[in-house]
Amino acid sequence: MTKPLKLIEVWGDTVDSRHLLWAIVIGAVISLTAFLVAHHFLLGVVAQPAMAGSYAMLIGLGGCLVAGGICAKLFAPKRVVLEEHNSDPHWRDAAMAELAGEAGGLGKLADLPPEVAAEMREVGLYDLFADYEKKLEAEARAAGTSPAAHASPLPSK
Amino acid sequence: METLITDILVAISMGLLGAVIFSALGLVSGTDETATLAPLTLLVVLLGVPPAGVLTFFLAGAVAKHMTHAIPTTLLGIPGDTLATPLLAHATALRNLGVPHIALRKMISGAFIAAFIAVPLAVLFAVLLAPFGPAITKSAPWIFFAAALMIAYFSPGRWASVALLVPFVTIIMALQAVSLKYDARLTISYFLGIAIGPLIADLFASISPVDNKRMQRDSPRKFSLSPDVRSWSGYFPNPLKVLDGTQRKWTAITATISSATFVFSPVAMTVLMGEVVGSRVKHAYHRMTTVLAARNGVTEATYIAEALIPLIAFGLPLSPVAAGPAAPLFNAPPRFTIDAATGQVNNLHTMLSHWEFLGYGLLAVLLAALIAYPLTMNFAHRAALFVSRKLSHEAIIATFIGLIFVISIWEGGIMGFLVILTMGLMGGLLSRHFGFNTGVQFMGFYIAILTVPALLRVTGLA
Repeated sequence: MTKPLKLIEVWGDTVDSRHLLWAIVIGAVISLTAFLVAHHFLLGVVAQPAMAGSYAMLIGLGGCLVAGGICAKLFAPKRVVLEEHNSDPHWRDAAMAELAGEAGGLGKLADLPPEVAAEMREVGLYDLFADYEKKLEAEARAAGTSPAAHASPLPSK
Repeated sequence: METLITDILVAISMGLLGAVIFSALGLVSGTDETATLAPLTLLVVLLGVPPAGVLTFFLAGAVAKHMTHAIPTTLLGIPGDTLATPLLAHATALRNLGVPHIALRKMISGAFIAAFIAVPLAVLFAVLLAPFGPAITKSAPWIFFAAALMIAYFSPGRWASVALLVPFVTIIMALQAVSLKYDARLTISYFLGIAIGPLIADLFASISPVDNKRMQRDSPRKFSLSPDVRSWSGYFPNPLKVLDGTQRKWTAITATISSATFVFSPVAMTVLMGEVVGSRVKHAYHRMTTVLAARNGVTEATYIAEALIPLIAFGLPLSPVAAGPAAPLFNAPPRFTIDAATGQVNNLHTMLSHWEFLGYGLLAVLLAALIAYPLTMNFAHRAALFVSRKLSHEAIIATFIGLIFVISIWEGGIMGFLVILTMGLMGGLLSRHFGFNTGVQFMGFYIAILTVPALLRVTGLA
């Protein structure tokens, strides 16, 4: 376990390739053993062979969960999970810029139904959008165009 | 009377079981709907659970999963399952603005409202279509063919997907011929292979030096979990109050539209309905929250309607959901069967009345909402933290590898395993490189078993 991790991205998340190999072996062996052993014994106990198969499948699926549990114990996630404490202003600005560039643009707070404006005040976003709207208007005036131009789809990049 | 009470008790307990299992699965990203719903529903069918219990298990599971899938999507920025993918962009934007809890609440409230709307509508549409049932059943091979062409054309691959149906169907027919030679009659192995295809394709790629380079990473993925913000009192916040008037209206409209258009792929409908709503809401904040509510509503409505309408009206799996995740409700031999030659069906279609579909459908949604909605509202943060810190991707893969082995060996021994492996690799690669997505692949299976034999018979080229 002292060797450095060999990280690869498989099926949407990162894994260590050696851990992955072991996980596959553990998953296959445990679930298949559970299924085959259950099937063997149930055939003698349950009257209909089809039902014996179904119960064996149930036990086999239980085996899958056991294998998953063992692998969860053996192999730690290769993720770094940070607990953010309220969002970084940098992300907010990036998100606002992206929204302004989207088709449909940022829109105007004045057009909002009162209940939505109230919701935005409650979650603390009203002022952020109001400031950004003013900034866009000021920029538009400086550029000598109407602010409406900013509401039209802009090439964002 | 006594049987009715027994049926209702079974329906309640199976619905609760489905809701609990799939609420948990919704938290785990990568748990594709088909790969989880299809095998577990099949198991419930084969263990002999009464029809009402089978229906509530499936529906409560699907509805619950599409509520809790909002947790990883909004709090961690990773899609909870396949249908959560179209919601990721707006969820991430709201996360960056520091209000992920708003995205979460809008999503599950949209799901809640849409699910309750979709059940009666689905039953209504099915009743309207039912008179055409016998005609449709009789011409099933051609209707499946038309549906497959349409679903293929509307998939990301467009004409490539239409053309790819030919070699894909040929491979299924070849695999069927070989497995029949060894006395293995396979269905679920094909579906599971298709659903789990991306994993199988990735595992093959990871051992090839050519592809391995592309997959290598220098550092673990970083996720930032947003803080917990709770701004309501009580245990069960009213979903109608979480959404404003515009959002209630659009959630209801899109749920209705997507219930009626039951032959389209759920992912495509989710994307499309979001675009329709987004273009009609002017302010960016209001647009994002409204689209999130409507889109997640569509994920519920499509699953409910696409399972219920074909089930009630025809008994044939004539939609992407019915052909994939809900397939065991139609075809789970020896208990549920569809005779390819005569179009004779023996499944929930023949076992439950329209009123029972309506009643048990609503019961399933109610049970899912009772479990998943307060869970998501109250424990989202803790659940996301637990899953992301304790459950490694290796463990998830181990579980699915086990699933592949157990289901395939159970259905067809070594032959079953070979089929799952081949279908998975083929399907995964075709989906990744050509946009020939799983919805089209499921339909390809029915083309192989229904349309091609009929085509050969009619043309006399057999």
